[in-house]
Amino acid sequence: MKIRNLTKKYDENVVVDSANFEIPQGKILSLIGPNGAGKSTVMGMISRLIARDAGIIDFDGKDISRWKDRELSKRLAILTQQNSIQMRLTVRELVAFGRFPYSGSHLNEEDQAIIDRSIKYMELEEMEHCFIDELSGGQRQRAYIAMVIAQDTDYVLLDEPTNNLDIYHASNMMKMVRKLCDELGKTVVLVLHEINYAAFYSDYICAFVGGKIEKIGTVNEVMTKENLYEIYNVDFEIMEIEGKPLSIYY
Amino acid sequence: MILQKEQGRKIAVLSILVAAAAISYMLINVDFGNTRFFHYSMRIRTPKLITMFIVSFAIGSAAIVFQTLVNNTIVTPCLLGMDALYTMLHTAVVFFAGTGSILVLNRRLAFGVDILLMGLIGTFIYDFLFRKTKHNILYVLLIGTVMSSLFGSLQSVMTRVMDPNDYDALLATLVASFSNMNSQIIWAAVVLLAGVMIFLRRDIALLDIIALGKDQAINLGVDYNRSIRRLLLGVTLYIAIATAMVGPLAFMGLITANLSRKFFKTYKHSYLIMGSALFGMMMLIGGEIMVQQIFAYNIPISVFITVAGGLYFLYLLLTQKKA
Repeated sequence: MKIRNLTKKYDENVVVDSANFEIPQGKILSLIGPNGAGKSTVMGMISRLIARDAGIIDFDGKDISRWKDRELSKRLAILTQQNSIQMRLTVRELVAFGRFPYSGSHLNEEDQAIIDRSIKYMELEEMEHCFIDELSGGQRQRAYIAMVIAQDTDYVLLDEPTNNLDIYHASNMMKMVRKLCDELGKTVVLVLHEINYAAFYSDYICAFVGGKIEKIGTVNEVMTKENLYEIYNVDFEIMEIEGKPLSIYY
Repeated sequence: MILQKEQGRKIAVLSILVAAAAISYMLINVDFGNTRFFHYSMRIRTPKLITMFIVSFAIGSAAIVFQTLVNNTIVTPCLLGMDALYTMLHTAVVFFAGTGSILVLNRRLAFGVDILLMGLIGTFIYDFLFRKTKHNILYVLLIGTVMSSLFGSLQSVMTRVMDPNDYDALLATLVASFSNMNSQIIWAAVVLLAGVMIFLRRDIALLDIIALGKDQAINLGVDYNRSIRRLLLGVTLYIAIATAMVGPLAFMGLITANLSRKFFKTYKHSYLIMGSALFGMMMLIGGEIMVQQIFAYNIPISVFITVAGGLYFLYLLLTQKKA
């Protein structure tokens, strides 16, 4: 996926200013940056949830606006934080929605098998028939990921997947994301607030400041004292743990 | 699947109850001995019964669909002034065309004009409202309530400056109520109900997905904005039909939609819509039997519905879990 001159304005306020980057296939790319830097907006535009004002989002040789909705939803899945469901829905029913782009509301045996596999993969078998609104935040997040797995797309976009999760569930979530990439071969794009999760679990980092891309590159290229100071305007110490650069700030 | 069977059974139970209510409505206190009285009663009651079926179906299904569109179960189209809008448009037509106009004299034509206006203006206003407030339910509710009284005031301004003769005609022929049902448009209403359903069948099938919220619906490949606008058009037309036939019934949709959601405990809209319509039929027909046989027409049924619905609305507001 190639992004060219992507721009978004709210009235005269430029939120994303001609961003250019590529999403490397089969890798994890994390979008980081301070609040209001435009990373979530970029994610929204890539996933067609937010309309863009200018620019090209080239997905497999065709701009995403020219894809058929159904076809695109078989290739690209997005999970945002706005998931307020007003209805009584079990985990299995939620995961089954992931098959909608393929079979509509009439699921066949293959769909059922994929749903089973997704539920198993996320270790949700025991709560398969529990209602979503009775689950804890971490379990609910896993149910949504299971739905994304059932959707069976090459690209998975996750907007702040660790938000509202405690440290235990957040780090499990990040391990899960790594597995999505390593075991299932998916291309993952994340918006993250916690830079150390980005540093430890992703392959590439793209840092936004004021709607512009400040730095983009491999984790080791971006995670330096100088770069982080430019991005966040705070002094960082960089430590190496398991060969990954982690930052300390206070 | 066991669950599906259970839902089917629930629908069957409700249908039987509705049928029982309908039969008793038709037959209670009917003089079977005298064929002329019998025919007279049937001629009076049959169109009323059909009207109640139509109105329940229109309001019940519109309420469920609307709740899914706004992603909230305590609002209904009527709470946001959709029926007030219809009454206002109605009055405006008489006001500007005059009572002598063919638009007013021919009830079917008048209905057609109203429906057209309502479809255009209603869809525009509510679509704009949702976008402007970004579906924030508190704003939607607030602005909706304000709009509801605005439409009401505009309507009463028009009736006040109207020629007294026009006003008389308006009351007699155009403002429907349960004691003055507009049964002349039954066929037009049935055709329109069915037409809208056929026109929207694809979007109706998407309701289960739309209920997941905007982001998820788009993620799963639904053309969200288009579906929302089309379904909203359907809702405004359904409310227009119901209001044209029996006048405003502010809380009815709220009661039936929530009863249906509580009774079926499912996300499947096919059941929810059917359930909501059936509950509405039970309520209206049962209520009419009570009004006719117990209260001897002293209290119109809309009073009961408004009182019960108002209390129920407060109950829902106070007990609703913070989402």
